[in-house]
Amino acid sequence: MNVLSFIAKNALRNGRRVTLTVSSVAVSCALLVTLQTLQRELTIPPESEGASLRVIVRNKVSLMQPLPARQLSVIERIPGVVAVSPFTFFGGTYAGETVTSFAQFAIDPERFRGLLVEGRIASGDYDDFVRDRTSCLVGADTMTRYKLKVGDRMKFTGTFYPIDPDLRIAAVFAGTVDDRGVFFNHKLLDDVTGGGSTVGTWYLRVASAKVAPDVITAINAAFANSSAEVRAETERAFQMSFMAMLGDVKSLTLSISAVVVFTLMLVSVSTMSMSIRERFRELAVLKALGFRRREIFSFILAESFGLAFVGAVFGIGGTWLFWSHINLQKLSNGFLIYFEVTPRIMAMGGTVAAVLGILSAIAPAIAVARMSVADGLRTLD
Amino acid sequence: MALPLKYNLRNVIVRWRSSMATVLGIAAVVAVFIVLRGMARGLEASSGNTGDPRNVLIVRKGSQAESGSLVSREHFRTLLYMEEVARNERNEPVISAEVIVMVTAPRRDGSGEANVLLRGLTPRGMELRPQVSLVAGRWFEPGHHEAVVSQRLARRFAGFEVGGTIRAGPTTLAIVGQMDGGGSAFDSEAWLDADEARSIFERDQYSSILVRPRDEAALIRLVKKVEEDKRLTLRAEREVEYYAKQTLTAKPIKIVASLLGMAMSLGAVFAAMNTMYASVASRTREIGTLRVLGFSRRTVVACFVIEGGLLAGFGGLVGCLLSLLMNGYSAGTLDFQSFAETVFQFRITPDLMLLGVAFSVAIGVAGSLLPALRAARLPVISALKAP
Repeated sequence: MNVLSFIAKNALRNGRRVTLTVSSVAVSCALLVTLQTLQRELTIPPESEGASLRVIVRNKVSLMQPLPARQLSVIERIPGVVAVSPFTFFGGTYAGETVTSFAQFAIDPERFRGLLVEGRIASGDYDDFVRDRTSCLVGADTMTRYKLKVGDRMKFTGTFYPIDPDLRIAAVFAGTVDDRGVFFNHKLLDDVTGGGSTVGTWYLRVASAKVAPDVITAINAAFANSSAEVRAETERAFQMSFMAMLGDVKSLTLSISAVVVFTLMLVSVSTMSMSIRERFRELAVLKALGFRRREIFSFILAESFGLAFVGAVFGIGGTWLFWSHINLQKLSNGFLIYFEVTPRIMAMGGTVAAVLGILSAIAPAIAVARMSVADGLRTLD
Repeated sequence: MALPLKYNLRNVIVRWRSSMATVLGIAAVVAVFIVLRGMARGLEASSGNTGDPRNVLIVRKGSQAESGSLVSREHFRTLLYMEEVARNERNEPVISAEVIVMVTAPRRDGSGEANVLLRGLTPRGMELRPQVSLVAGRWFEPGHHEAVVSQRLARRFAGFEVGGTIRAGPTTLAIVGQMDGGGSAFDSEAWLDADEARSIFERDQYSSILVRPRDEAALIRLVKKVEEDKRLTLRAEREVEYYAKQTLTAKPIKIVASLLGMAMSLGAVFAAMNTMYASVASRTREIGTLRVLGFSRRTVVACFVIEGGLLAGFGGLVGCLLSLLMNGYSAGTLDFQSFAETVFQFRITPDLMLLGVAFSVAIGVAGSLLPALRAARLPVISALKAP
């Protein structure tokens, strides 16, 4: 019998305890990884290469404050701007649903063509969308979710604007980070935006990521001290500011993760010391046979480390499998989109488990090192 | 005959090291569960606590929140002269047409910016909301670009103290006072004059109308009248009912609390089981003795289940005490309906704590049932021979 199989036999001899220890470490690791993923989802918006090329211009007062439509001609002339379209959040509810489950935007179809960078037209005809004022461009995910096909109609109830558009699906887009949106012609909002004199925001594309800062400065400067001062920022910065509004939710997730780690530690430390205490007499025999403290410590360490490792593999691997095979977007009604368990988060979970394995070996190891062989041999319990 | 509780209690104490680990583990689980529920409770309370049952709030049909609603001036005039509307001592109709706008302001802690909800209202609007009181400075005067902010909001946003300013594009509003909304949704608002708000933010229309009908019968008539009038395209409902429905933000937190509670309790059950199995294993001879003395299997099962419940229940109590530390903690997040920052207080209520303790006892019982059955099934003779 070599050392490794000795350690393995020792670890596995109480099947029930092994199962319980591994399961509790696994559950805790799973929770930790899930919470970290949630935290990531809430703080870091999905990244796409186009996001640094696109700029959103909103009213400096707040996102809800409209911008004058006349700003278009000024923005268009700024060097570095490739395409620009009005971009107004409609926020309607679809087919009698009570909450807005996907975003709708009013845009200028002709101008918007240049803004759909990563996206491609999966079916239908974009030109048809440009021609027909009462048609819409729909994301592939929304098409699948409601089992729609090109030519079907979508009816929305306006929550911010007092109109209820009834739109024909002209084209479907796919391949963007979020294939859920519905886009329709801004002209439909003319009646409720003072004859088309205001827009929600401007959405524009710049020639390259390098010129983006200059374009942003130029736009901000162009409307400084006017009646409608603006705030231009890259799409990514815009998304980040939205996430920042979630406020204390972030710190809350962090503190819950801390509590979970703490619980994890307690459980495994107590289990490890329990199983060592049970074997005090045996360890005394080992000592009597001439094993050194260091060797005994490494036996204990290897055992607790091994248990923590197996628990972590089950917990982290299981979580990864679970979240990558479940359609969370559907379950959470579009609130959580990616929920990607990244290698970084998995590594963090693994590190916590490893540290735990080491920590929980220390207390029993000290107890064993301190005991005298004679006392150990006399222990009954 | 049952075993005295003292036996269980002493057993828990004698094994204090593993007992403590279990107690603390369960305490952490229960504390997280209660705090999350307390957060959802706080969010619900701030909207549920808002409004006067005698008031009717009128918004545009189809809008989900006041902030997304539009009410034209003609509609306001129609409502103004309805006979159902109560009159005050100066014979003015008690009705307020209000404007909801948003400004982006920097947070005090430097964690970025958030939207602040500004309500433009009239003196009638203030009469209609007796739960709001001034706590510092004075009320705003129309025409002077002045505003009053809620005290709780002022703690979260930079420059919101009396004497500070709110920047709204080229205009700045001077903050002349602070108010207290008494834990209602008004604690997340800043107030200014309605017409001034309309001119600063270039709003042609109002957002909502708050009205006090003469009496209960008039209230029901008014709601019906607004509902049936095809020209109005408005929706009227009791102010309290409107706010009670604004709970969209609390919902995901409640779901997270339940899911997290379930997952964490699973881990806690494993931990409790571990402790109890070890406890049974080291007491084999004792259990044999008890059986020889005539205690039935059922008594032994009950004894261990009670011990597990006791241990976990104690953990639950510690968890409750820990969660109490968060009671009243003021936090803010994005309200999913108004898109503005909503300020709320964690509310750790007695019923939540009771739920937490019950939850912990359930964990203890679930975790000790299998070990208890094992203890009862031990063959008496070999148990007595155990070391």
